[in-house]
Amino acid sequence: MKSNNLKNISAKIADKLGAWLLIILIAAIMLFTSDKFLTTTNMINVFRQIAVVSIGAIGVSFVILGGGFDLSTGMIATFAGCNTALFMKNFGWNMYFAMIVAILIGIAIGTVNGLLITYLKIPPFICTLGMQYVINGLVFVTTKSVPITGLPEKFLKIGRGYIFGFFPVPVLIMFLFVIVGHIVLKYTVFGRSVVAIGENETAAKLSGLNLNLIKVAMYSLSGFCVSAAGIVLAARLSSGQPNSGADLSLQAIAAVYIGGTFKGSIVNTLAGALVWGFMNNALNLMNVNAYWQKVALGVVIIGAVLFDTFRAKLASKSID
Amino acid sequence: MEDILRLTKICKSFPGVKALSDVNLTIKKGEVHALVGENGAGKSTLMKTISGAYKKDEGSIWFDGRDVEVTSPKQSELMGISIIYQELNLIERISVAENVFIGRYPLKSGFVQWGKMYKDAQALFDEFDLKIDARRLVRSLTMAQKQMVEIIKAVSINAKVIIMDEPTSSLSTKETESLFKIINKLKSNGVAVVFISHRLDEIFTICDRVTVLRDGCYVGDRDISDITKNEMISMMIGRELTQQYPERSNAIGDVVLEVKNLTDGGKSVNDVSFAARKGEVLGFYGLVGAGRTETMRMIFGIDKKISGKVLLNGTEVTLKSPRDAIKHSIGFITENRRDEGLFLRSSIRVNTVMVALHKILKHGFISYKKEKEVSEEYVKKLRTVTPSINQKAMFLSGGNQQKVVLSKWLFSDSEIIIFDEPTRGIDVGARREIYQIINDLVGNGCTVVVVSSDLEEIIGISDRILVMHEGNIAGEVLKEDFSQNLITKYAVGEGA
Ligand SMILES: Nc1ncnc2c1ncn2[C@@H]1O[C@H](COP(=O)(O)OP(=O)(O)OP(=O)(O)O)[C@@H](O)[C@H]1O
Ligand SMILES: [Mg+2]
Repeated sequence: MKSNNLKNISAKIADKLGAWLLIILIAAIMLFTSDKFLTTTNMINVFRQIAVVSIGAIGVSFVILGGGFDLSTGMIATFAGCNTALFMKNFGWNMYFAMIVAILIGIAIGTVNGLLITYLKIPPFICTLGMQYVINGLVFVTTKSVPITGLPEKFLKIGRGYIFGFFPVPVLIMFLFVIVGHIVLKYTVFGRSVVAIGENETAAKLSGLNLNLIKVAMYSLSGFCVSAAGIVLAARLSSGQPNSGADLSLQAIAAVYIGGTFKGSIVNTLAGALVWGFMNNALNLMNVNAYWQKVALGVVIIGAVLFDTFRAKLASKSID
Repeated sequence: MEDILRLTKICKSFPGVKALSDVNLTIKKGEVHALVGENGAGKSTLMKTISGAYKKDEGSIWFDGRDVEVTSPKQSELMGISIIYQELNLIERISVAENVFIGRYPLKSGFVQWGKMYKDAQALFDEFDLKIDARRLVRSLTMAQKQMVEIIKAVSINAKVIIMDEPTSSLSTKETESLFKIINKLKSNGVAVVFISHRLDEIFTICDRVTVLRDGCYVGDRDISDITKNEMISMMIGRELTQQYPERSNAIGDVVLEVKNLTDGGKSVNDVSFAARKGEVLGFYGLVGAGRTETMRMIFGIDKKISGKVLLNGTEVTLKSPRDAIKHSIGFITENRRDEGLFLRSSIRVNTVMVALHKILKHGFISYKKEKEVSEEYVKKLRTVTPSINQKAMFLSGGNQQKVVLSKWLFSDSEIIIFDEPTRGIDVGARREIYQIINDLVGNGCTVVVVSSDLEEIIGISDRILVMHEGNIAGEVLKEDFSQNLITKYAVGEGA
């Protein structure tokens, strides 16, 4: 009976912690294998590395929670980064104005995705896959496939700067997105509606939710977040890089699944991104070759989702 | 007769709920054995421990001459136990025949014999006069037809014991009669049937013995011939039940909802016109497939109408979606709670406020405090059995799920509420509470439209009854003329 109770409690804790458990696990292992791991510099580094993906993943979380899918985010991000650079460099626009226009374009692309998916009933996977190619092409057309460099110092601060001399600006932006995302999901009618639609579309419709509007809005929101991510990325790379964001779509989706955002919190998305970040960092510190790192990261994605199912089983076992 | 199945001291707990404690059940060969009890009493849980869907915590199961450990539904099926679960479990995108023979398609050198499968399935339906085409996709069937498919599927397994968990909750009299024919045939072949229902009349019609559960405990078993309905009810709820249909004092006023010549292009609804008044309970009776649900779906803006008008307080309105209808203060409690009513993975509290999210906002943001107050209020009011308002809807018993759906619409402040089978799966005690709620609604000037396949219920609660037959309104019966005979006549198309 006692050991049973212990099992129940540990299962419950495992269920509550979710992806954070993985982070603790990695941290525990690293504490013993590398003395460089638990240093302020290294920690800040990890957060800096995941900032861009996390910012984008906040938007992607809404799409996935709402039962959709978005593969075009990487290209929308790249487009926003390059556009901002272009607007400043070639048109001589003011930095803020350039960023706002670039983000508006991103929102517009997301909205088009949403409209196609809701009104023309194109499956989200296919629609956003197509959109990814369209935007990829547009990026090459506008940049002629050449990186846009020589951006103003003030702009680069967004990706490379620090406040108070130690806290990275992109990490600050990331936390801002996480907090606002969390509030939107938990405390607004929109957030509730997204989850409801993802869970049972018919019931959501019969409950009087404005299905089409909400679905379109969640893709627009995704467009907004990833555009912001793309701009931060451009600032970090000091240039509009036509090839920069390709990986972002899948990394953002991975963060959502690894984090287990389905359990109802945006903060889980951050956890998902952190697992990825720490994993990368750990492999770097252990001098694992970059190709093998990719293999390991792939395994982590599958493993994390497996782990999640296993955890759910364990938790329900403790129920029976 | 000798015993076929004996359960002894079965226990089963879920977090926060002791669903079964020391429950006994003995089933004899060739008998129809009723299992009754309030919502959440543990009936479905007990049946699931027999079928292997749940693992029991303690107790023993004896089946057909020996003690057995049931580990999976597949195993119990092989042993000779088949079960119809309370909720439908068909695969919507494949044909009726495939659903019936799922997992045991007729094979010939590794290939499925489609022809044989359709023929065999069709023969089963024809045998019992069920007008269901075995080649049709399950998706296109009504709830009742789907239920009949489940029944045929369970019967075709050649089991020694067949468990039926509320098989009649979505059936009307006619299908229920077909089911009883099936049960009688099984009985004459020596098959035992465990029959769960909240419609006690059915139990007195078809069952030989009854076992009563209350709060997860075994209360007793009796021969049906030795017990009266009232005795059975007091065994179930632990007290006498006063008058099933509570008195109501409602003033019937002007016409609020008027429907004119509603048609869906000859599919199921033909030229339907009617009016419902303020403070009135308008009943809709008919056999399954008469077009009642379809009519309501069109009014509520779910399905497109081909022609016809809907007028509210004398002005024509266009209701293109449920959202429009809700904005005009119409509410619709659908018959299919699992697919159309509930967010199963969400908690009771989330479900309760879903239609009226705007009512729990504070400065534009959702107030968790208000949400909690509201859902606790409705849990108390409807006496929903649950460890807490944070319980996910999927973990509630069928009747309690229905109560959550009701709460959702009661909280929405609709003025015209359409109830499609409001007491589906609801126990006798709670049923009275729902009737009381309907009374309160009309007492406060709401208009209530009730679609029900339960003749006694529709007579008990309506102020006026419209009977549908094959997509048409076959007759209108005023309160002073209510009689089972007349209404049934209209329903089968023999009226006037
Ligand atoms: N999977 C589950 N997890 C948690 N609690 C459960 C689960 N299944 C059932 N319960 C609880 O166990 C109790 C018994 O439920 P059960 O479904 O057996 O009731 P029932 O007698 O079939 O009721 P109804 O007439 O409403 O169908 C209920 O309080 C229910 O909330
Ligand atoms: Mg049940």
